[in-house]
Amino acid sequence: MTGSTYQFDFKDLNISSSMIESVLGYKEGEDRELVTNLIEEILTDTHKVSIIKAEYRVYTDVRFDNETKSITINNVKFQIKKIVFGQIKKSDSVALFLCTAGAEIGQRSREAMRDRDLLKGYIYDVIGSEIVEAAADLMQADLERNMLKIGKKITNRYSPGYCGWDVAEQHNLFELLPENFCNVKLTSSALMDPVKSVSGIIGIGKNVNFNPYTCRMCNMKDCVYRRVRD
Amino acid sequence: MKDFLQKLALCVENGKINKSSPYPPNMRDQDGADELAKRALEEGVKPDEILENALIPAMAKVGNKFSRKEIYVPQMLMAAKAMSSAMVHLKPFFQSGETKRKGKFIIGTVSGDLHDIGKNLVAMMIEGGGWEVIDLGVDVGAEKFLKALDENPNAIIGLSALLTTTMENMKNIVTVIKEKYSSSKILVGGAPVTTEYCKKIGADFYSPDPQGAVNYLKQLAS
Repeated sequence: MTGSTYQFDFKDLNISSSMIESVLGYKEGEDRELVTNLIEEILTDTHKVSIIKAEYRVYTDVRFDNETKSITINNVKFQIKKIVFGQIKKSDSVALFLCTAGAEIGQRSREAMRDRDLLKGYIYDVIGSEIVEAAADLMQADLERNMLKIGKKITNRYSPGYCGWDVAEQHNLFELLPENFCNVKLTSSALMDPVKSVSGIIGIGKNVNFNPYTCRMCNMKDCVYRRVRD
Repeated sequence: MKDFLQKLALCVENGKINKSSPYPPNMRDQDGADELAKRALEEGVKPDEILENALIPAMAKVGNKFSRKEIYVPQMLMAAKAMSSAMVHLKPFFQSGETKRKGKFIIGTVSGDLHDIGKNLVAMMIEGGGWEVIDLGVDVGAEKFLKALDENPNAIIGLSALLTTTMENMKNIVTVIKEKYSSSKILVGGAPVTTEYCKKIGADFYSPDPQGAVNYLKQLAS
């Protein structure tokens, strides 16, 4: 089994104030005075407190079942459902991964919300999500480079909880990963601690493809995230 | 007095918290919702009037603007903060019973789901609509909702979920609540939820935006 471990510095992620403004919904030329200073302040703080880690492991013992739209990895079965199954079914191996922005940023978001500073809590939350996604992008890019060296391609990454894949299957995923992988733990209700973490699967093979990810794959038409990104 | 309340409503609508808050720039160095609510009470305006004629209409305007996509989440949250700064002065009157709220609203993100932005937006809009909000937080199971209902039997319930998969947990929660409190009203919301799904699981109301929930509660209270 191969794999890699990463610890990123905040500046590696190239997260800018304008990027966060855009995630918040602001478009070119719109007044954003309300959020600019607060975003800068939170980015500076986040830079100091984030402990950004990522890890992946490649598994070659994989079997797909078209009937049940499931994948079995090292004898652990995942009901990944139609959308994810369709994207990774041509893989000859898969990478399971975890990325985290660390505990502090989620904690600061919760504290701000508790103190009724909803905007501050919201911006911490958004920045935490952007950090973990940016870290996952870097990890995924490195996995892609490593696979290209042996003539293979990779798919997009998919996480339990999305595209119909039951969030409870996080338990199966954590069963396969080494203990304390990325220092992320799983609660009994399948939630990750630290909160700002992402886990999932990436297909690997000669006949798989990476699709430019858009929210349109998902059927959640009123999703607030779709609204700001589309 | 009308002018006073209009000024307060304008502060809430625009997210002007207090005199020292720099936002919005065109209201810099002016009194904010905090000072105006305090002064209104000092000058004899009844807390009911502050709530009914300034805070509730201001938050309704904010909710409608958000529904029409004229403002973003940050502006809505600033308005909520301005409203909260005014509410602080009304709190003693709620506690003494001199000012009555419209009712109680229990809200939580369902078990298995940690997303709380949507839930918080709905909670603050409903609070701005004159209701007492009991926020159970995230990853809330049926038992916790039931316990809150046991303590507040006439409260209305709000369930939130962002994931298609955790949305399924709404069904169990609705079933458990309706078994014990068949007449209780349950609102559901979140990105994957639809009117059809709401009906299918036996919930009472679905709205794609917070203001819809406020309007539904208003109907129930009238």
